[in-house]
Amino acid sequence: MNLLLVSVGGAIGAILRYLLGLVIMNRFPTPPFPVAMLIVNVLGSLGLGLFYGSYYGAIPLGAYEEPAFLLIAIGFFGAFTTFSTFSTETVQLYQQKAWKPLIAYISLTIVGSITMFVFGFSITKLT
Amino acid sequence: MKHHFWKNIGAIAIGSAIGTSLRYYLNLYTLATGYPIGTIIENLGGSLLLGFLTGWFIIKVPREWLKAGLGVGLCGGFTTMSTLASDSVYLFLEHTWWLSVVYILLSIFGGIVCALAGYIVGQKAGKRQASREVEQG
Repeated sequence: MNLLLVSVGGAIGAILRYLLGLVIMNRFPTPPFPVAMLIVNVLGSLGLGLFYGSYYGAIPLGAYEEPAFLLIAIGFFGAFTTFSTFSTETVQLYQQKAWKPLIAYISLTIVGSITMFVFGFSITKLT
Repeated sequence: MKHHFWKNIGAIAIGSAIGTSLRYYLNLYTLATGYPIGTIIENLGGSLLLGFLTGWFIIKVPREWLKAGLGVGLCGGFTTMSTLASDSVYLFLEHTWWLSVVYILLSIFGGIVCALAGYIVGQKAGKRQASREVEQG
């Protein structure tokens, strides 16, 4: 049952990441740096913060038997966001010697993801 | 075009279901450590694999659905940024700030080094495979 939940959440998350990536790349065909995965990762981190804040009011550790945690946190947001594409795109910028886009991509992704996670988590406490 | 699209979607769904399940098991088995070691292994390992595939696929161009299933699906589902963000905040709040910084730096630089190493090895492996196929006619 647990495996089914993470699989379904993971499949939906990755498909949505793919579709959103296509839409963003259609709109910005030649971005200075990989803006599609930046948006996806920042959005997904915001979503996980919102989920943790509203559902748990804390960052849960070891909620591995809980269906909502498995489907939404591990499955959906886990797979909607990605790290491997981030690191591989960084390598491509490195090979193009595109230093400014490289620095911008890394810092915006990391700072943006963490900040938006905290933001999403915090605003659930206000309402 | 439409046909290819649905083939890609199917491959991504299967790839990500597998990648996410593997991530779930790794997290579960490293839970007792109290540290996000599972996420580090996943993000570094997934970067190594996607780097390898990217290098390999530049030489040996695959079918689109295969590339989407392995890259977007398997590697994308196996690795995660949202958990990295929540782990960083968790370490900062529940442990110490420097443990959070170590975790972030290890993930970023480790991930990029793994992706680069994978890319170089993948490209070499692809070239070797391609030249072998030429020899065999």
